[in-house]
Amino acid sequence: MRQVGGMVWLGWLIAGPTAWAGAFSVAYGLHGLGCELGWPALDVGPLSLQRMAIALPSLAAILLCLVLLSRVKATLGPEAGLPRLGLWIGLIATLYTMAPVLVATSC
Amino acid sequence: MSPPDVTAIPANPPRRALPLHRELDRVWRNGPGLWGQVTSVSHTTLGLRFMATAFVFFGIGGLLAMLIRAQLATPQSAFLDTALYNQIFTMHGSIMMFLFAIPMLEGLAMYLLPKMLGTRDLAFPRLSALGYWCYLLGGTILIAALLAGVAPADGWFMYTPLSGKTYSPGINADVWLLGVTFVEISALAAAIELMVSILRLRAPGMKLTQMPLFAWYILGTAAMMLAGFPPLILGSVLLEMERAFGWPFFDPERGGDPLLWQHLFWLFGHPEVYIIFLPAAGVLSTVIPVLCRTTIVGYGAIVAAILGMVFLSFGLWVHHMFTVGIPHLALAFFSAASMLVAVPTAVQIFAWIGTMWRGRPELKLPMLYILGFFFTFVMGGLTGVMLAVVPFNWQAHDTAFVTAHLHYVLIGGFVFPMLAGVTWWMPLMSGRRRIKGLGEAAFWLILIGFHGTFFLMHLTGLMGMPRRIPTYADNPEWMWLNLSSSFFGFVMTIGFALFTIDLILQAGFGKRSVRDPWQAPSLDWAMALPPPNYNFASLPGVELQKEGAGGAMLKLARGEGLLPGAPRGRREILVTSVGTARLEHVALLPFNTALPLVLALAICAFVLLMLAGFYALAPVALIPVTGLIWAWARRAVASVDAAPVEVAPGLLLPVHPEGGTTLTQSGLRCLLFADGTFFASLLFGLAFLSLVSPGPPLPAWGADQKVLLSALAGLSLLVTGGLGARWALGRVESGRPAGAALFGWVIVNLVALVALAALAAGLPDPTRHAGDAVRAALVAYVGLHITIAVLFSAFALDLARRGELAHGRAGALRNGWLWQGYTLAAAALATAALWAQEAAL
Ligand code: HEM
Ligand SMILES: [Cu+2]
Repeated sequence: MRQVGGMVWLGWLIAGPTAWAGAFSVAYGLHGLGCELGWPALDVGPLSLQRMAIALPSLAAILLCLVLLSRVKATLGPEAGLPRLGLWIGLIATLYTMAPVLVATSC
Repeated sequence: MSPPDVTAIPANPPRRALPLHRELDRVWRNGPGLWGQVTSVSHTTLGLRFMATAFVFFGIGGLLAMLIRAQLATPQSAFLDTALYNQIFTMHGSIMMFLFAIPMLEGLAMYLLPKMLGTRDLAFPRLSALGYWCYLLGGTILIAALLAGVAPADGWFMYTPLSGKTYSPGINADVWLLGVTFVEISALAAAIELMVSILRLRAPGMKLTQMPLFAWYILGTAAMMLAGFPPLILGSVLLEMERAFGWPFFDPERGGDPLLWQHLFWLFGHPEVYIIFLPAAGVLSTVIPVLCRTTIVGYGAIVAAILGMVFLSFGLWVHHMFTVGIPHLALAFFSAASMLVAVPTAVQIFAWIGTMWRGRPELKLPMLYILGFFFTFVMGGLTGVMLAVVPFNWQAHDTAFVTAHLHYVLIGGFVFPMLAGVTWWMPLMSGRRRIKGLGEAAFWLILIGFHGTFFLMHLTGLMGMPRRIPTYADNPEWMWLNLSSSFFGFVMTIGFALFTIDLILQAGFGKRSVRDPWQAPSLDWAMALPPPNYNFASLPGVELQKEGAGGAMLKLARGEGLLPGAPRGRREILVTSVGTARLEHVALLPFNTALPLVLALAICAFVLLMLAGFYALAPVALIPVTGLIWAWARRAVASVDAAPVEVAPGLLLPVHPEGGTTLTQSGLRCLLFADGTFFASLLFGLAFLSLVSPGPPLPAWGADQKVLLSALAGLSLLVTGGLGARWALGRVESGRPAGAALFGWVIVNLVALVALAALAAGLPDPTRHAGDAVRAALVAYVGLHITIAVLFSAFALDLARRGELAHGRAGALRNGWLWQGYTLAAAALATAALWAQEAAL
């Protein structure tokens, strides 16, 4: 196993929740922007542009968490435990808080 | 030099403990008398003083609560009129939150952390002292305003437009905005130094994943403070600008929006609840296992829970605004986050219950408070879930039900654990044992009094009694509940009085306590009682950490650990790496000084001038502030190379980190993180005002080419400045003279400031429209940063002139470079934001 530095380990530890926080902020921001610009009325395929715009950052966060989850053991070895929990937190939090995007009315 | 293996450090030979103590005490102790107290920078002294002061403010806040309860005991009491009543509940809330809860947890953490982590002080002792004086002076301003009858009266969350100039013409609201912001300097100072201390000052070999849980809790708290306080400070600054200069950030007539205040306030306000709760939970996770004679269940799960809380609690501020008409979708995901954050809380509660299950709980006094916590906090959690349900929220919003819920959470979740902590660490702090009986009586009075007072307030709330009303003449049926509630309030007060008497008796007359009276394993007990300022005569290495407090105590006192004594007459501590605590270097901490007090007084002068409305004079007060900070930084500079220090037989460590990160650099990074959240909140404000708020559209700027050109010129000058700094650094590191490069850096930064001034002169009148005001605020923000960049570069130039910059001692230059980079990034983002605002028209 490679020895990784403390800051790197801390980075892995907060990666999951940070991904959630990023998706959450971007979604909130795009939601406001979309309401202003009338995105809910524009359809892109099955969803409105509004829902797409809000769902995409969450999808990206989820993918990021999954990718990192698949690498965490190889990178951190015996110190992978806590960062793995952190990634799960990010994944579940993103799924849970962003689920309403699919059903609730926008704006 | 390759880092030494921390597991194979030879022990120092044992020495006689008493001479070793004398040697250290001479170097670390406070000066004699009152002056010695004023100049002390010791974390032990300051931690205790923070807690004692917070307790006094708790008393004042409690007194106000009693006045409130006396007023509400009958429907038509003529005791307080509405104006005074408003001041009293506002001050009660503000004192409890800003002058009691936050300083109390800061004090506890400052006092305990170096002891738990096995070091001699915090990373920036002078900053601890500065924080204390800002807290004391700011708190005094607030209390003086209360006595003078001009206290803030708009509720502890100071909603606009109520707190704007139209509805609050006096200085009452300014007292809050300026006073609380002044106090928050201490919160930021504490957050920075606690974070750096936890990451860099742990005893060698104490991995992050093995440190005491309390340190994890405080690490989370510090991170939350760095992210949570800046929005509040920004909101206060903007509101003060509106009140003082008419910049209409929150005025809907001119494109502002009162909701912006609510967003900024709750962006701080909800995390604040967790900032308060985390250290309290840290106390619980520390005390419960020892009192149950076992170890904590689920260390990893608890760390993950802390991590989850730190982040998730920033995703739910909007739940305080459910009634203001937020779009459905946004409501839905804030609601979801509000429910999700219950999970980490539940994880911890199960870990504590599991620990008690596994061990044999002993019903000592701290355990009584812990049981009081469980009972109270769980009820507060249930009412919280009720309030998180949107339809119920519409019903109960702004009734006494909310007041009741809030106190179940705050007193249950913070006060009870803190009382457990105080009774737990009293033997450490006072060196004495408790007098039996009194403490138990105090506990029962507090518990019964508390539930009597607040349970009944749920009921009055459900009957429809609004919060914040002084009389209820039309609803005489609420009287019996209110009267009983007030009665129990006085029972609780008697309980707190008894608690205080108990503490005083213990500190003054208790029998001497044995060392480590609870047989706790952590290092905070591996020292003499009460602890000397230096904590440990020698610092615990890996072996001694394993032995626990009982086994390590004597060996540490005899100097068998690392870096024994103070043979060089300096305050020396060990700096270790962030993750695994490898040995990095020896840091020299500053001696006692009055500088923090003088600096706090200078800042206080600025605050008072602003309060008095002498806006033209106030900036003059910033000159001494700048001069004092300069002197502060100068004293931290090592002017000559110091020889490496022998830490253990044959193990030499450098005093200057060779290219590694200094403590100051770590601190600056934390500061920049807080600064970044401040800036991000400002950008949020800009986006919010341009996109979401209704109101008259922003009139055109008419920004001409000149403005654009000066912005670009300023940016490229900042880049050049950065290159100059980098070039100078390279020259210093390789031992060549860097004067010319540094001189160039100063000049380029000065010219950048001129370019910015040219841009500022082309701005439209900021009082015209909120959009103009935000624009001006952005430019002012960048201007402030460039000014500081000028100071950074001038400081480095001054050092070079004195020949004090050298290989391994170029920290000032590195810090300046870091600042320059941040300034550049902020300026670029600000330019982009201005452009986007213009393009959105
Ligand atoms: C010592 C016992 C306490 C009593 C009897 C008490 C009583 C009260 C009462 C009756 C109110 C409602 C005022 C009104 O709406 O008219 C209130 C408000 C409040 N209390 Fe307490 N309280 C106590 C302790 C605390 C503590 C320890 C904290 C925080 C750590 C706290 C924080 C607050 C806050 C934030 C408010 C809201 C103020 C506002 O509406 O602006 N209280 N308290
Ligand atoms: Cu909240």
